[in-house]
Amino acid sequence: MVGVLIRMKLTVLRRSTTGSKANWTATGALLGVLGAFATIAVAGVDAAPGTVLDLLALVYAVWALGWMLGPAWAGEPVLRAEHFALLPIPRRKLAVGLLAAAFVGITTAVSLVAFASAVVFAARLGGVVPIVLAVPAALLQLTIVVLLSRLTARLFAALSRSRAGAVITAVISAVMLVLASSGWIIFVGVEAILANGFSAGFSAVVRALPSSWGLVAVEASARGDWLWTAVPLAGLVVLAALLVLAWSRVLGPPRRGRPVVRGTANLPAPATGRTGTVYLKEVRTWLRSPQRVQSLVLAPVFAVLSCLVPLAFGSPALLPFAGALTALMGAAVSANLYGQDGTALWLNLVAPDTAAADVRGRQLAWLTFFAPVSILLSILGTVLSGQYGLWHWASAATTGVLGAGAALVPLIGLSQLAPGPDPHRNRNSPMDHGDAVGGAFAALVGTLVLAVPAIATVGVASALGYGQLEVLGVAVGVMTGLAYWTSIGGAAVRRLTERGPELLYLMRAGKEAQEKVTAGVSVSVFAAMSTSRRRLMWGAFGVGCIALFPQAVVPGAMLASGDVAKVWFLALYLPESWQWPTIAAMVVVAGVAFTVAVRVFLAERRRIQKARTSVAITGAQGLTA
Amino acid sequence: MNATGHPPALAIAGLHKTFGDYVAVKHAELTVAPGSFYGLVGPNGAGKTTLLSMATGLLRPDDGRSMVFGVDLWAEPEKAKQLIGVLPDGLAMPEQLTGRELLTYTARLRGIDAGTATARADELLAVMELDGDVERTLVIDYSTGMRKKIGLACAMVHAPKLLVLDEPFEAIDPVSAAKLKAILRGFIAAGGSVLLSSHVMALVEQLCDTVAVIAKGTVLAEGPVDGVRAGRTLEEAFVELVGADTTEAKGLSWLAS
Repeated sequence: MVGVLIRMKLTVLRRSTTGSKANWTATGALLGVLGAFATIAVAGVDAAPGTVLDLLALVYAVWALGWMLGPAWAGEPVLRAEHFALLPIPRRKLAVGLLAAAFVGITTAVSLVAFASAVVFAARLGGVVPIVLAVPAALLQLTIVVLLSRLTARLFAALSRSRAGAVITAVISAVMLVLASSGWIIFVGVEAILANGFSAGFSAVVRALPSSWGLVAVEASARGDWLWTAVPLAGLVVLAALLVLAWSRVLGPPRRGRPVVRGTANLPAPATGRTGTVYLKEVRTWLRSPQRVQSLVLAPVFAVLSCLVPLAFGSPALLPFAGALTALMGAAVSANLYGQDGTALWLNLVAPDTAAADVRGRQLAWLTFFAPVSILLSILGTVLSGQYGLWHWASAATTGVLGAGAALVPLIGLSQLAPGPDPHRNRNSPMDHGDAVGGAFAALVGTLVLAVPAIATVGVASALGYGQLEVLGVAVGVMTGLAYWTSIGGAAVRRLTERGPELLYLMRAGKEAQEKVTAGVSVSVFAAMSTSRRRLMWGAFGVGCIALFPQAVVPGAMLASGDVAKVWFLALYLPESWQWPTIAAMVVVAGVAFTVAVRVFLAERRRIQKARTSVAITGAQGLTA
Repeated sequence: MNATGHPPALAIAGLHKTFGDYVAVKHAELTVAPGSFYGLVGPNGAGKTTLLSMATGLLRPDDGRSMVFGVDLWAEPEKAKQLIGVLPDGLAMPEQLTGRELLTYTARLRGIDAGTATARADELLAVMELDGDVERTLVIDYSTGMRKKIGLACAMVHAPKLLVLDEPFEAIDPVSAAKLKAILRGFIAAGGSVLLSSHVMALVEQLCDTVAVIAKGTVLAEGPVDGVRAGRTLEEAFVELVGADTTEAKGLSWLAS
């Protein structure tokens, strides 16, 4: 059966229609390979073996977290237990078969390279025994992260069917996201750590994580401590067995039904205007849909936790910005509102002249849910941290981001629409959604750029010594917000008016209409790709270049050489302890941006090649199915 | 224009759509006379949904026009869209609303005043039996049949003169279907016009006065039901027009042997 499942998975991967998921894996693999080699490099770093063990353990924990978070963002796995529900296969056999199939993939190959760092670590410890032990330890470690990934995916899928579960999922995702993204904190004290090691308590906690057990065994074997060699290895085997058992148990049909949300009976028609009608519909959707509730909770929780992280080294400076970060994340999680609603767009197309009401109603609803919490968190963050000196910065950033977000959300939803299954088709599997990474990225970068005038006002006032003018930042934020509302919101209205049928087609067929492509004619991918995709690709490419070269490589080189000229290098304007973290953050931004650019290109090339060879019969099928 | 000088309820003039090299609908011509009950029949994949989508503003045609009571829908959408009610097949709706909320949303979006919207929603929900026990159920939890009924109610709430319905009877139970037929006959009797698609010949024979047969994107026949079937059953006429292979299909020798 294992062979059948693996062949089936390979076939599905080869034919996956949109190709976006497969391409995400392929380009993500490039970053993954870099990460894997970085992990191996950590194993060879010049420090005491105990410190290297702790560092590696920390990196392994991040890999494990990545595996657990992955499915929540990338959607359902290729082979699902539901596909085999009607076949007479015992669950345990199915679990083993699916596990074997789960090993087939680029992500597992990349992780295997990363976990091979255990062998490198063993080699530096000396002796043959650690190396011999490191091989099965690495394989067990890989098995466990794969199993953990599948189990958390299952858990998230079960949870996200209800609103209460969606809240839990949002909090867990936010915690994991913050943990996985705050590894840069290590940079702050990396020299002290390399010299003196971690604190005993921290070290004990990190080594106790199951993701570290293999390393602990390898290190103990080098010291001839056979008890601590045997116990962690046995622990890994037992844990793997338990996880397989747990997984085979949850493979069956869901035991509990989906909690049903009820509406109110006998409400009269709303007396508000047409925009108000859409607004009311949106408010109800935000409150009733588990998917939307998850977005509502994820944004503020992520923001607050992220701003708490610097407290670890005594800096409350980020706290006043919890509100601005909430609004920013709010824009990112709302980037695919139209895609989430699916083909419901038809109701707007059959009624005359509804585009303006639809766009404005959605904008108002977004503000209703994200503005109060953002403003409140800004005030709370400032008061609780006592950083009153940052209030003007924080208030300007919050206002600027809110104005930009409200304006951008519908436009990005329309121009970067990621089609997924219609909501009534995936009501029992809400994890099965369109891949909205590109849109979320566009929303993040776009919102930040549009918020610059408000923040820059405070910066200029402060730099020129007119402290009393810093208060103008909020005013500029409100004014730019109004201007964006008119201009960018207006662009969304125009797009919806002009491209409504094409957007509906995209949601029905799962891909854009292939009018530009002529079979047999060789067209450049750049020429044939849609305007919105081309803009996203070049935009991401530009952002990546700026983040990588002038904001990371050059200031990094300057810091390393000690020959510093600030010019426009953001990192060099910050306090010393923040310089390297900022550079690291810029590298991450560049990595994400390049990934998005490459991914858009590959997806478009795939789409266009497909259209050339097989012609768009599926387009018509999308309508008749 | 017909003999009485009124423009047809719907005149599809040369609507054409290709997806890549695949021609989904080939320069289709159809005329739905005012007051007629018009059935569009065709096998799966014939282009029915593509044609109706183009006729109602849901899919942009490559060529051709869709005239609603003489108004070009793609040139003057605001005017034409007031006159028609549409029920597409299998599309999503604002899923997190109750049936009543969805109906009043649709009505208010079309500019109907709140009082009228409330009254019509009451009446439509009662007729469709979507009130009472299921009053608080969200559309996402509706069964397929209930989705059809609320979709139909949405298509009628603004009192259109022409209804364009894609597979309105699919997945509907016999009791609801009987009710639905009664509603549609009443609508015709009151001067409305209906264009519906179906692949159930008996239903079309029973309900419609005019029929068009479409296959592989081409309209093969159009006219009064009696004219098209020409002494045969509609099913026989249909199979002959479509040119399907009617020789007995070979049985599956291994099945239940």
